[in-house]
Amino acid sequence: MQLRTRIALTFSFLLTVALATALVVVSLANQDIKERTVSREVRNFRSAFEALLEANRRQLTEAAHSVTDDFAVKQQIALRDSATLVSTLENGACRIARANLPSDASSTPGCDEALEASRIDGVMSVLTAVNGSVMASYGSQLEPGQKFPHLDEILASPRGQSAFMVVHGRLYQLVVVEVRSPLRVAWLIMGFELGRKTIGDLRRNSLLDVTLRIVTQRGWVRVQSTAPADAAGDEKFWVDPLNLSDIAQMQLAPTRVLLDQAKQPFDELRNKLEWLALLSLLATAGAAFWLARNITRPLENLTKAVDRIRAGRYDTKVPVERNDELGTLAEGLQVMQAEVLHRDQRIRRLAFQDGVTGLMNRTAFVEALTAALAIPGRPIAVAVFNLHRFRRINENLGYDVGDAVLRQVAGRLATAGGTPAREGSGVARLGADEFAAMTPLDDQADARSWGARLLSSLSDPVVVDTQPIDITATVGVAVTPDDASQADELLVCADLALQNARSEKRGLALYRSSLKLATRDQLSLLGELNQAIERDELQLYFQPKVELATGRVAGAEVLMRWQHPSRGLLGPAAFIPFAEHTGFICRITQWAVDRAVRQAALWHRAGSSLPIAVNISTDDLADVQLDLRIATALKFHGLPPNLLTLEVTESGFIDNPDRALQMLDTLATLGVQLSIDDFGTGYSSLSHLARMPVNEVKIDRSFVIGLEADEEFTTVVRSAIEMGHNLGLKVVAEGIETESSAERLRAMHCDIAQGYLYAKPMSAGALEQWLDGRPRVPLTCARTLPRERADADALPEAAEARTA
Amino acid sequence: MDAVRTLILALTATAACTPARATHVTIEVRTPSGAAARDAVVVVDAQDGAAAPAHEKAVVDQVNKQFDPQITVVRTGSTIVFPNHDQIHHQVYSFSEARRFELDLYAGSRNASEVFGKPGLVVLGCNIHDRMLAFVAVVGSPYFAKLPANGTGDFDLPPGRYTVSAWHPELGAVHKQTLTVESAPAKVTLTLQAPPTYDPVSAWPE
Repeated sequence: MQLRTRIALTFSFLLTVALATALVVVSLANQDIKERTVSREVRNFRSAFEALLEANRRQLTEAAHSVTDDFAVKQQIALRDSATLVSTLENGACRIARANLPSDASSTPGCDEALEASRIDGVMSVLTAVNGSVMASYGSQLEPGQKFPHLDEILASPRGQSAFMVVHGRLYQLVVVEVRSPLRVAWLIMGFELGRKTIGDLRRNSLLDVTLRIVTQRGWVRVQSTAPADAAGDEKFWVDPLNLSDIAQMQLAPTRVLLDQAKQPFDELRNKLEWLALLSLLATAGAAFWLARNITRPLENLTKAVDRIRAGRYDTKVPVERNDELGTLAEGLQVMQAEVLHRDQRIRRLAFQDGVTGLMNRTAFVEALTAALAIPGRPIAVAVFNLHRFRRINENLGYDVGDAVLRQVAGRLATAGGTPAREGSGVARLGADEFAAMTPLDDQADARSWGARLLSSLSDPVVVDTQPIDITATVGVAVTPDDASQADELLVCADLALQNARSEKRGLALYRSSLKLATRDQLSLLGELNQAIERDELQLYFQPKVELATGRVAGAEVLMRWQHPSRGLLGPAAFIPFAEHTGFICRITQWAVDRAVRQAALWHRAGSSLPIAVNISTDDLADVQLDLRIATALKFHGLPPNLLTLEVTESGFIDNPDRALQMLDTLATLGVQLSIDDFGTGYSSLSHLARMPVNEVKIDRSFVIGLEADEEFTTVVRSAIEMGHNLGLKVVAEGIETESSAERLRAMHCDIAQGYLYAKPMSAGALEQWLDGRPRVPLTCARTLPRERADADALPEAAEARTA
Repeated sequence: MDAVRTLILALTATAACTPARATHVTIEVRTPSGAAARDAVVVVDAQDGAAAPAHEKAVVDQVNKQFDPQITVVRTGSTIVFPNHDQIHHQVYSFSEARRFELDLYAGSRNASEVFGKPGLVVLGCNIHDRMLAFVAVVGSPYFAKLPANGTGDFDLPPGRYTVSAWHPELGAVHKQTLTVESAPAKVTLTLQAPPTYDPVSAWPE
């Protein structure tokens, strides 16, 4: 039910109850009034009746005395002159009848006429002896000599009161007077009949119906009544009858006139009340409805406002302007809306903005990109940047500096990416050291130059608190519509290009569709790689290492080949990076170590010992059980540790150098040889290098290849070789393809060479053939113990701990 | 005839009154409550003979609208004079059967008189003054008394059988009994019996 209806109904209900109560109260009051009116009438009647009886009594007494005082009467009594006495009594009766004539009656009517015309129903006059026997009688039908009934009782009634008697079905009011001459000689009993006329008179002066009843042998008998024969009267208003000496009674009942009269004030009042009730009900219903509307309409407005706010429209005007509670509620709603809006904006900022740089975050970037893509007609380029070694900046220089670097990078990218400023350009920070930029281009071909411009903006060192910090970055670029058309896909493409650039160690790469295919291949590879080990599809290849100075074989590097069932033989580049990304590398390394150690042990037992080198990835270094596994493999296959070299990339130390170093120390105590792979490409702090328990460094192939063309590389390679030697390390060069390169390296006193110039990677069997007859570096020479180290205190203890 | 009989009765009464043969009898009358019955009238009638009428005279005066005395006992044949000593008129009447009469209105001491020849109780009234009441007891016997305050009467009776009657006007009480007189003096005590209704006239013993 609606609030409005409920309020209106409640009001009406309450009013109805109140009015009904009022009506009931009025009814009760009226009942009371009615009863009081009736009882007042009864009182009046009683007074009138008693006055009548008293008047009768006086009149009768007087008349009786006028008879008994008559000396002649006394004489007649003495003489027992009955006939004369009767006439005397009749005369007295006539006198009393005439005395009660109406004032307009003729002066001297006959006795019967007088009686008829008078107010008197009848007169009885009886003279008895002292003992009650009738001497003379008039109007009573009593015979002389008869005993006057109940005379003793009548005489016993109190003085000054009338007696009542029923004679032959008629009720009489009697007085008794004695006759003295001079002693009491007789009683004169005189009485009026109380009959039709008397009752009628009483009724005329009253609003009560009167019914006279007498006692007979058959019980109460109705003698006279003014009530209509068929009218029962209003029973509940019958009042106690007026009893006349136990033998007769007057029953009284209010007449219809009286009842109407009593009811009249109430009827008028009730009539007014009913009108009042009707009017006030209508008025209340109207008022309640108006009030309800006054409350509910603002409530409805508020509800609508709330709906609008819920829908996110925070500019909603809350429409109630009042001074009451609803006004307060509306104000509260308005304030709440403002605060929600404020919070919403803050949440949006947090959700779409990077806290550090103030750039867009990934979500916002995707949105903005999507919006930009919606504008057709021109290509959109997206670039994804990765800062190198940002983690080390944070760790070494503190997060404040790191944040400052990020902000500067952000500023530079924003400046460069947006120049010239275009609609739809934008820069975002996607993650810790990842940024993205987008811009509309006039021509797809401009993508490379745009990316290069962005990249070059980062070439100058960032200065934080006067401290210059070198930053390098890699960028991958993708562009619509060729590469992708959706924002997500564009980002993925740019990311793939970035990965490609990183893997190819270039600063910038554009997306090309083959990258996606490769990616797709890699995805399927994951499942297949899982099975590759079980199906023994992986194979070990060996690439010989040759002593540069003598041309003797110094050992071999173990490389992986995957004999893929459908794709043929795959090189390590096709699956090792992928395995590294997926964490699968550990298993592959373990497999490779195991097989390589087995093969080396076979050769060793065959008397043709050859040192082998196995690549250990960064993830492997993080594996705390690496040393245990390697020790187990060596022990299981029975290979002397010095025949095994573990090649570790420089980048393996970036993430957690301390732990990596600790693992290296542990591995060194096993007696295995350790080598730094790709020396010169990553960071190689001399201080770290000095602390590493390594035996050799491997100069990266990029330097070796560069030797052919660039004089600058020669200097780098030479200084690298010298540095290695100064640290007491063997120096290995890989990727040697030309004799001239070999010659240069030899001139620089590089110790060992590896490359196509000498041999391609080959299977174990092929290697055995290849080795056949070739001179080898003697094992005693090849075995190089870990050099003396500046901080030599840690290692021997660890070694002792191990051996113990 | 009547005169002859009256004469005989009178002779007989005279003979009975012979003092030498009389016996002293005291009669005491008490009210029903046992008190002395003052103003009680006692009549002693000889059972064997009637006394001759007497021609005595009595006076019932009217003073202060009262008869005086209010109780008078006379022998049959006596004359009562009704003087009026009030300054107002009285009209004395009697509707009693023993003597019915009516005196005209009179004032002063005019000696109106009536002869009461029949025994019985006569009630006197005044037609003007309802409250005036007097009793005249007319008795045939020479032996009667209106008792003084001590309620005792003294009689000298010849031996023989008598009927003793006692009557009291105010009490309306009566007593009647037989008395045999011997030679020795005697005392008789009577107790009045009150009838159910007060009717002194009916109560009169004769």
